[in-house]
Amino acid sequence: MSAHTVKRRKLSSSPENAASSSHANSSTDAKRTSPKVTDKTDQPKRQATRGKDERSAELAMASGFYKSSFFKLQMDELLTGLRPNYTKQVSKLQETLHQIKTTIENIPEKAAQSVTDAEKELRASGVLIPWPEPRPNKDVKYTMSYAKPANINVVGSFALKTGARTLESRPVDLALTMPSSLFQDKDYVNFRYFHKRAYYIASVAAGIQETVAALGFDVKFAPQDGDSLRPLLLLEPRQAESAQKSIRILLAIDPTLFPIMRTLPMKSNIRQGSSANSSEPGEPTSFYNASLRSDATVSLYHKSLYSASKKCDSFSDACILGRTWLQQRGFHAPFQNGGFGGFEWTALLSLLFEAGGPSGQPVLLPSYSCYQIFKATIQFLAGRDLTTPLFFGQEVLVPSGVPVIFDGRRGLNILYKMTPWSYATLRHEAATTLKMLNESREDNFDKVFILKVDEPALRFDRLISFPKSFNGDTLRALQEQTALWQVLSRALGDRVKLVSLTSHSIDSWPVKSKPNKRSSQGVSVGLLLNAENVGRIVDHGPPAEEKEESASFRSFWGEKSELRRFRDGSILESLVWSDQSEESIIYQILEYILQRHFKITTEDFGFMGDEYDQQLKKSGDDILAYSSPAFQSINDAFKDLERYIRDMEEVPLTVRHLAPASPLLRYTALRPNGAADIVLQFESSSRWPDDFAAIQMTKVAFLLKIGDSLESSGAASSCHVGLENESSKVVNNAYLDIPHTSGVLFRLRIHHDREQILLERNLKDRTLSPREREEAAYALFAYKKSFVQTPRLTQALRSLCTRFPLLSPTIRLTKQWFNSHLFNAQISEELIELLTIRTFTQPNPWECPSSVMTGFLRTLHSLSRWDWQQEPFVVDLGGELSPEVTENIRTRFTAWRNIDPAMNSLALFVASDVDPEGVTWTQYEMPSKVVAARMSSLAKAAVNLLRTQPHDMEVSDLFDTSLAPYDFVIHLRPKLFGDRSSVAKFKNLAEPRSGMMATVKSFVRDVQACYSQSILLFHGDERCAVIAGIWNPQTLKPRNWHLKTAFSTAPAVDSNTQVLINQPAILNEIARLGHGLIENIEIHGTAEE
Amino acid sequence: MKDASVEVAGYTTLPVQLPATPTFPKPATHYLYIRPHEPRIPDPDSTRSLFLVNVPIDTTEAHIRHLFGTQLSAGRVERVQFEDVPTKKRTAAADTDTNSNKKKRKRVTADDYQTYLDDINLPSTWNRKLQKSGAHAIVIFADKPSMETSLKAATEAAKRGTTLVWGEDLPADRIPALGLQRYVAHERLQYPDRGALLRSVNEFMTTFAAVAEARKREESKRLAEPDEDGFITVSHGPKLNSVAREDEMKELVERQKKKAEGLEDFYRFQSREKRKERQNALLRRFDEDKKKLHELKARRGKIRPE
Repeated sequence: MSAHTVKRRKLSSSPENAASSSHANSSTDAKRTSPKVTDKTDQPKRQATRGKDERSAELAMASGFYKSSFFKLQMDELLTGLRPNYTKQVSKLQETLHQIKTTIENIPEKAAQSVTDAEKELRASGVLIPWPEPRPNKDVKYTMSYAKPANINVVGSFALKTGARTLESRPVDLALTMPSSLFQDKDYVNFRYFHKRAYYIASVAAGIQETVAALGFDVKFAPQDGDSLRPLLLLEPRQAESAQKSIRILLAIDPTLFPIMRTLPMKSNIRQGSSANSSEPGEPTSFYNASLRSDATVSLYHKSLYSASKKCDSFSDACILGRTWLQQRGFHAPFQNGGFGGFEWTALLSLLFEAGGPSGQPVLLPSYSCYQIFKATIQFLAGRDLTTPLFFGQEVLVPSGVPVIFDGRRGLNILYKMTPWSYATLRHEAATTLKMLNESREDNFDKVFILKVDEPALRFDRLISFPKSFNGDTLRALQEQTALWQVLSRALGDRVKLVSLTSHSIDSWPVKSKPNKRSSQGVSVGLLLNAENVGRIVDHGPPAEEKEESASFRSFWGEKSELRRFRDGSILESLVWSDQSEESIIYQILEYILQRHFKITTEDFGFMGDEYDQQLKKSGDDILAYSSPAFQSINDAFKDLERYIRDMEEVPLTVRHLAPASPLLRYTALRPNGAADIVLQFESSSRWPDDFAAIQMTKVAFLLKIGDSLESSGAASSCHVGLENESSKVVNNAYLDIPHTSGVLFRLRIHHDREQILLERNLKDRTLSPREREEAAYALFAYKKSFVQTPRLTQALRSLCTRFPLLSPTIRLTKQWFNSHLFNAQISEELIELLTIRTFTQPNPWECPSSVMTGFLRTLHSLSRWDWQQEPFVVDLGGELSPEVTENIRTRFTAWRNIDPAMNSLALFVASDVDPEGVTWTQYEMPSKVVAARMSSLAKAAVNLLRTQPHDMEVSDLFDTSLAPYDFVIHLRPKLFGDRSSVAKFKNLAEPRSGMMATVKSFVRDVQACYSQSILLFHGDERCAVIAGIWNPQTLKPRNWHLKTAFSTAPAVDSNTQVLINQPAILNEIARLGHGLIENIEIHGTAEE
Repeated sequence: MKDASVEVAGYTTLPVQLPATPTFPKPATHYLYIRPHEPRIPDPDSTRSLFLVNVPIDTTEAHIRHLFGTQLSAGRVERVQFEDVPTKKRTAAADTDTNSNKKKRKRVTADDYQTYLDDINLPSTWNRKLQKSGAHAIVIFADKPSMETSLKAATEAAKRGTTLVWGEDLPADRIPALGLQRYVAHERLQYPDRGALLRSVNEFMTTFAAVAEARKREESKRLAEPDEDGFITVSHGPKLNSVAREDEMKELVERQKKKAEGLEDFYRFQSREKRKERQNALLRRFDEDKKKLHELKARRGKIRPE
């Protein structure tokens, strides 16, 4: 609470600011919000002619009252796009509304009649009364009658001009106030009011159906705000594409018809015990009461909101922002979708202008800008726990556990449709958004308003779906879902941070038929896991001596609960789950508890999320966590080796640093095999030569010495010096393979920092040929990559992986995704790591992932949204990503795009605070733009699959790649890969041919090098038995003979100047080069001549 | 049609049949483009050389010898110069200033050592190198007539459509095999034995020391000798440590900057200018933001929620 005050104070502007802001606001508002001014062509002109002073004023405003000037500019654009053009709509609708009104006024009165007669009468005119459950008995004493509405008014966001133009068109609300004469004093009990109301709306439907049909509308019933107690009439334009808005006809009553006293939240108004779906008699019926009360407050709220919008200039814009924010997070008015929609937001704002602060002062001031209103409201939602009720006016008794903002004057808890879970979700979202708004590093505009945040698989760690249960008419659904929520929350306890339920309210239905019950069936549950507790095997209950609590524990858990004595001597009720089972502990709990409390078997609910863990286990040697023995043993071996290397005596230089530089040593290798790279740096010495070749030779001499030393000290069996990059004398030429006694193979290279200075000098040396300078540039790139950035990245990831336990598995699964889509030859492991890290260190607009599923899917999602041609990918790796660093990175990115606009050398730009240069992992066509585009489109396809099949998506589909788009596919000999089934049987023989796999890699590299201009090859990891290729489309046309044509050609037919790519000859060469590796080459479609 | 395919852009096109393999049974014809070698700066060898373009990726010197010597039974090939191999062989051309980055002195001894040094390499890890697709090569024949007969034979073969199979009947022991065997060999050759490595390193280092020694000697000798005008150039010893000097300069600049620190607000005009600058920077940023927004809109269309 105290933090809340401080923040609030920061927001409320000083008097002079407030004065200038209201001034500035009114001037800009006058310019843009008055409904008439919406012609957009006018604005740029005006901006151009504006003087400097005015610009300064605009700037001052933008920087003072908004998050940042760019944020403000974007927000202005957003608001301009979303502000409906009311004048135009009013003129279009006026005639229609008028006709409807007249028709309604002319519906004849009907005398009182019994329920049966009423039904009969309306059925004759083709209307079925939309009774709420339970429908009235045939023998009820009260009667149904109809009389002309006391009042017909346009209400709601259309009338208040607080609506937002969104994709789904906002309907116009027409409220009919039913005459009080139709009701008796006691009609608020036992659904009597609602039954009369249903008859009334049906009568209106019958009375207007002809007229509106002529106007081009379909007449349907629909529950108001998902509430089946309160059906409304929905007039939908018959042609979907017509510009007509739909019109909703709502019912209202006079505010004084039923006393507020009778509908207070704790009153009990359903007294018939007979109906199965209502609460026990005597129980408070707060939803029922509020439902009734909200019919009585239609005009009251309309008036109060209208006056609020008149008092504050930015009120309507703040409403648009709020509606947008809510919609992106899946919050709507029906209780099934959160129970917090546009109306609730607007009503909340109007109340916060009056009070709501810690000591009763207003939270909002009329002088606030729309952004300030938005932020203060978000801050209020995040900071004020409303399960401690907030009263405007007198205090009354309210139920506990649900949020309450009780508007005493109108007698309504405006949050009555919110459930404990939807409120928890709302606060969670508000807190996340507040964090984003307070962040100075990024402007986050997209993440607050543009991004759709409510995609279940991106938002939650585990999803449960009940296709058949827990839904139905409103009161019953509310009750059942509350029961489900209570059981799930209690059963999962601190393994989860949030249990959130969503369902569908009933769709609208034609007036002559019954509502389609199936449209509302089922409920989905999203879980946010608490990664620390989710894998706990033993749950401790209450101690045996606390009789009452342990009895409750036992009755909840049944025979699963057992008494156990623990090491500290305590005897506790406890639950034991299995960590050996195929199923996750969460699933085991659900399976048990749903059966026990709801008799729901595993066939009747769906569960999503575990499959991602299983997919990783399948392709990642059964390893899930970074702390698994496989990774730890490599780490231990490294520590041991480091000790030996520090103690070497035969080597004349002292060791400065031995740095790990391999995915194996940063927990991110998909499968822990192969050699682990390490980098050794000696203390600097002036005895190193200044000549590149001599440096390489010296390195070889040192490596030989180190090998001897390690062999003699017993750290390793026979060490071997290996050679690499033999075509160049400026790139590192040699390494040392150290088979550590533990069985781990290390590959050591010597880092000599003088090389960098020498290379930089060569780069600047104008006397050298361009080719030599290019070579120096490449060598410098390679130097920085292997000796500077790889160790840094390794260091950073080693700490990140321990900080975020799910980072390592997520990276590994993402690597598998890239593998299975054959990106290995083009996209480096380090790049994938960086792309994934951002999901964890910059998780906005969500929280940091607590499951492999969300981590992986959000990474794909961020890839799918990355416009890599126009934007750098900026990762916070070391926690030092200040705005200056970001600015620096952006400058570098722009420079690169200026140097290489065609993106021939660099397609992706991925930078971090540790590596602001941004090209370490991607320069020299790693990947090329063709591959980058393919990566984007695959990520988009995956996200699309997620959107279209949220519940029945097969995870393996994401990992299946199609070979059809490639021009040719080289199938490798299956013998090289051994038999898969035997692999599974003998774990220690898992990769018997890792040497063989190096061969395939060398082969791919050879072919790619020989045909760099004509072919692009795609290959996966060591288990991938195909190499796919595409022809460079530019080589496929005949062209004039040229010496520099860097691919095999044949003379074109009938020409003695033109040549054509010689594909069969090239494939023949590849086949001979890969003799013994290749089984066959499959050529697709047009690739053949 | 045959006539048409004999020549392209002044080159004789010689079709060569590539041997089919079980993995890719489709026969394939490869085309070599041949013409006399006419470099911009002619050298003594160019008159007896042919210029070959688009050699197959597996071409070796043996292949070329076999093609001209046996398969076309024409001229005798002396040697082949492939595209990717740098023309370091300074047999006769020691005087031309090729693009070697080593500093040259007109003293024979040091350069001799240097040439020798350049030839000391670590052992190669491939027993057979590959050519890039579409690469060219210069074939130097024993004499001019063998070159001429070879070109003629090639043209004849092309006109008559004689089937020449690439590397046919080339003794298998003359060239290392391609395919898996080549990669297996590579994996072995990647790790040369200790003795061989040590020998290369020692030889290199000894020669390297000799080069340095000789250079130093020549340098001091040159310094002592008066030039044609009778002057002796005075210099500050060898400029070997240019890097060290760069470092020194950097440090100096750095120190200067540090000294000036904290004095930026000394005069009032300084703080006034700074304020102005800050204001301008803000305005500039604002304008940039506007531009950015404009670009964003151009790219993504209207800003609206998804």
